[in-house]
Amino acid sequence: MTTAILIIAPLLFALAALIAPVMIRNILTILFVIALSALSLGNVFSFNTSFAFPLPNSFHELFILLDTLLLLYFLWRGIVAKNALVMLFALVQIVLYAVVVYLSPAVVSSDIFADHISSVMYLVINIVGGMIIVYALKYIESEELSRFKKNGFIAILFFFLSVMNFIVSTNNIEIFFLLFELTTLCSYLLIGYRGDELSVKNALQALWMNQIGGVAILLALVFSILEYNTLYFDVLLANIDEIYLLPVVFLAIAAFVKGASIPFDKWLIGAMVAPTPVSAILHSATMVKIAPYLMLKIFPAMSGFLSLGVTLFGTFVFFTATLLALGKDYFKEILGYSTIALLGLMMSLAAIGTPEAVTACLILIMFHAVSKALLFLQAGVLEKSFGLKYVDDIDGLVERSPLTVLFIIVGFASLTLPPFGVFIGKFMAIESISKEIINNPFYTFALIFLALGSTLLTLLYFKVVAKLFAKDVDVKPLHVKISKFYTVPSFLLLALLFVGIYMIFLSHFLSSLEFVVPLVLIVFVPILFATLLFKNAHRVKEYNCGEKDESKLGMYYFYLSDALKKGINTAAALSLLVLIAGVLL
Amino acid sequence: MMEAFFIAVAPLLGGLLYGFERVLRARMQNRKGPPLLQPFYDMYKLIGKQAFIVNPYHSILGIVYFITLWIVVAFIILGENLLYIIFLHLLSVVFLILAGFSVRSVYSHIGANRELLATLAYEPVLVMMAVGFFMINGSFEISAIRANASSIIPLFLLFLTFLMIIPVKLKKSPFNATEAHQEIIGGVEVEYSGVFFEFMYMAKWLEYVFIYLLLMLFAGDNIALGTALFIGTFLLVNLVDNATARVKMRDLIKIVLTLGIVLGTVNLIGLSYV
Repeated sequence: MTTAILIIAPLLFALAALIAPVMIRNILTILFVIALSALSLGNVFSFNTSFAFPLPNSFHELFILLDTLLLLYFLWRGIVAKNALVMLFALVQIVLYAVVVYLSPAVVSSDIFADHISSVMYLVINIVGGMIIVYALKYIESEELSRFKKNGFIAILFFFLSVMNFIVSTNNIEIFFLLFELTTLCSYLLIGYRGDELSVKNALQALWMNQIGGVAILLALVFSILEYNTLYFDVLLANIDEIYLLPVVFLAIAAFVKGASIPFDKWLIGAMVAPTPVSAILHSATMVKIAPYLMLKIFPAMSGFLSLGVTLFGTFVFFTATLLALGKDYFKEILGYSTIALLGLMMSLAAIGTPEAVTACLILIMFHAVSKALLFLQAGVLEKSFGLKYVDDIDGLVERSPLTVLFIIVGFASLTLPPFGVFIGKFMAIESISKEIINNPFYTFALIFLALGSTLLTLLYFKVVAKLFAKDVDVKPLHVKISKFYTVPSFLLLALLFVGIYMIFLSHFLSSLEFVVPLVLIVFVPILFATLLFKNAHRVKEYNCGEKDESKLGMYYFYLSDALKKGINTAAALSLLVLIAGVLL
Repeated sequence: MMEAFFIAVAPLLGGLLYGFERVLRARMQNRKGPPLLQPFYDMYKLIGKQAFIVNPYHSILGIVYFITLWIVVAFIILGENLLYIIFLHLLSVVFLILAGFSVRSVYSHIGANRELLATLAYEPVLVMMAVGFFMINGSFEISAIRANASSIIPLFLLFLTFLMIIPVKLKKSPFNATEAHQEIIGGVEVEYSGVFFEFMYMAKWLEYVFIYLLLMLFAGDNIALGTALFIGTFLLVNLVDNATARVKMRDLIKIVLTLGIVLGTVNLIGLSYV
């Protein structure tokens, strides 16, 4: 019941947001978001969170119609834009889809299936996604778009939530494919929203790359029907034979495409041209979160080689994406690569598949969503209120808006330090992988990628934080006031982070001493800042070795050579091929 | 009770160690060197000095660095989770690095940058070491590691790697690129003076305690072996410090990361076959 409401309600909200005038639209949106959040929360606490049932046949026909229309739309976009890749993948999908429909077996299982993982996803999608929509209300007002387009923007975001709620509650791979393609459609529309040349180009890039994921799912479907005679996840997983894992490996590849894992990282980074709420929602609550979710769905079918392969590939992405991020200067791009990295880690954990690793994966999914949303909202604030996009320019922000600095610092701290959720996830990841090494030495490489990657990630985040403090003592910049539409969602996300901390405390992942100490330290520092401002101490200027020249202080970057970047992409592409080849043999 | 005592005097022990090291190094160079308690005399002098600050964030972050490090040492003494301790130590270094970046001083920034890069070199090694202990003892808890027999033989390659990062952490040549005095005038510490420098100074002592306590983990429950490891390593590090010139930052990372990771990997893979 909840599932149905979570799927249908956002569709109606989208319609309402589309036609209502600004004031009413804003009030309605806030009310809708509260309702959706309450519903998804209520679902977690209700007695019966898992249920399954089939849909009537007429629905299946409707879905086939929708799917055909959607694929034709992609083909048409490809023709209009004269983009060969979009056309090619649309055609391939149409052919494969026709094969799937032609072959589709009569055996029916439940189309709708929600379990505790779905409930967790509902929380992420509706609460975090909802806050981003509230934030978007103000953000989109400051864009130069027509009234209709602004309303349309909010409507698409609600539509996106609906699709996401549906995708995490379906058991039918064919329906999963339709929804997968609908998220591709949403991201295509949102990335190209500003309509300028670069946006259109990057939107098309996102389109064809995500279509590869669609092709992979269709291949998985074809192989699943041929060998196991089923369209359903549960039947597939129940009958899976270790000798024939082709459907599973293609589903895993679809997950890597959605998760923008290297070599598919370009689409998510290109998505940065879109309005910031789009990045926020793509990175935290929707779209890319399908990747670890899909992995969690199929992990029972993975064993031996495939489980190891996916784990190694995921940690490899974790490491290399961080490495790429260290050479970046654009704030959103840094956040983007760190999303790719952490998604790689989540997928690795799902592939390990022990109860502990799955818990770690879910923890990462939840807390990464909150932290990333908080950070992307600040990226938007930096852009709209300060006109800043590059880390190199954010000198001394602490004087201009301490609140934004606080959000950014807590955001980064929550992605690295104890006792925040992402830290716990990483901590458990190391423990899970260590346990695997005892049985299989190849997991050592996953551990090394993880150790290197997590160190690099910490360096990356604190390199940015360091820049916030560096300020000129003599210059007193103006304090800037930030709109309530921006600060309130940020405060709510901050509150969620602390709710998360409380949950971690309750679940005894850390001893109480281990838990309290870092928290005290993290709270202690700002309090010290606030109280001990050394009003009476003697202020001096920095020691400059007697040099008179003013020096401009920059940041360090790890510039990777193009050859190395190519090498990374080739290595990643090759390992995916090895994954397929290994399963075939 | 004993633990509380050791935690309380940890910085003093580090100070003594530091003083002893200065004497030892001087003797190795055929000098008489300062008295054993010289670090404490220095401290006394620092307290009396006029306090200058460049900006409040800078001074506070220095103090927080010291406090965090003390907590890290306390956690080791209490026998908490090793992996957690390694991450908490990273937090303390993060505070130090932020301090270095918070002033507009070229030297401080270079120092902070180098500190960052050095972290990159030793942090993965520390994590691998923790995993090595986990594979042998089945737990990350230091109390469990201490209760079991010495694991230096099965972890010998990781032990060698750990020896390599001691000079990085304690800023000894050949891996003392982070503090290359003549070139960058003290690095992160350059803008500290008076009582604020005192905290940085004491933090340095705590780094000694931190690294040698980790070293002792290799001895497990064997106290004699622990003492031997400590004395041997202490002499070795100082001998190497006296006998070698500094390597460049780039080389530091290359050497520690490549050699360290190769040795660590071989060790971990070997363990999974036993």
